[in-house]
Amino acid sequence: MQLGKVIGHATSTSKHKSLDRWRLLLVQPIDAMRRADGEPLLVLDSLGARAGDTVLLTSDGNGARELVAAENSPSRWFVQGIADEVFDRGSRN
Amino acid sequence: MRICEIIGNVTLARVHPALAGLRLLVAAPFNAADLQAGRPASGEELVVADELGAGVGSRVGASEGREAAMPFRPERKPVDAYCACILDHVQLTPNP
Repeated sequence: MQLGKVIGHATSTSKHKSLDRWRLLLVQPIDAMRRADGEPLLVLDSLGARAGDTVLLTSDGNGARELVAAENSPSRWFVQGIADEVFDRGSRN
Repeated sequence: MRICEIIGNVTLARVHPALAGLRLLVAAPFNAADLQAGRPASGEELVVADELGAGVGSRVGASEGREAAMPFRPERKPVDAYCACILDHVQLTPNP
């Protein structure tokens, strides 16, 4: 599981049918100092995360296929939780 | 999925039987700075399988890993990157 910050979203008309009606959030993975860690990811979201939110992502493909209810879905990353507070090396106190 | 720009395609002279007829594109992943500056993708290129008809210049969502082969079920194909969506619009929120 990976922490990330929501930095935007994307829209798509032509896509795998299992992604129909899903929100595609753009999430920047972050490290324990809250620095960008790798390239941004497009993730599925069913929780209503918004830009600026810190979210917990998972790359569990089985979970993603269950979420979209399609065994042939290429989806992998999805928002598993919206963080309230994160205490790590990037914390102020 | 990473957001990638399609920058080319690949054709194969000799091919694994399971990949025959599959469209293969060369894709470059965007980092956040590329997206913010509106410049071309600068990540390390990869080859993705495509069934949607993406072309050079398209921005796509590329699914990677085992999940990339799932759309071909029950067929088994040695594919580890798949063009899952062609993006119409990427909206970046300023100072999120």
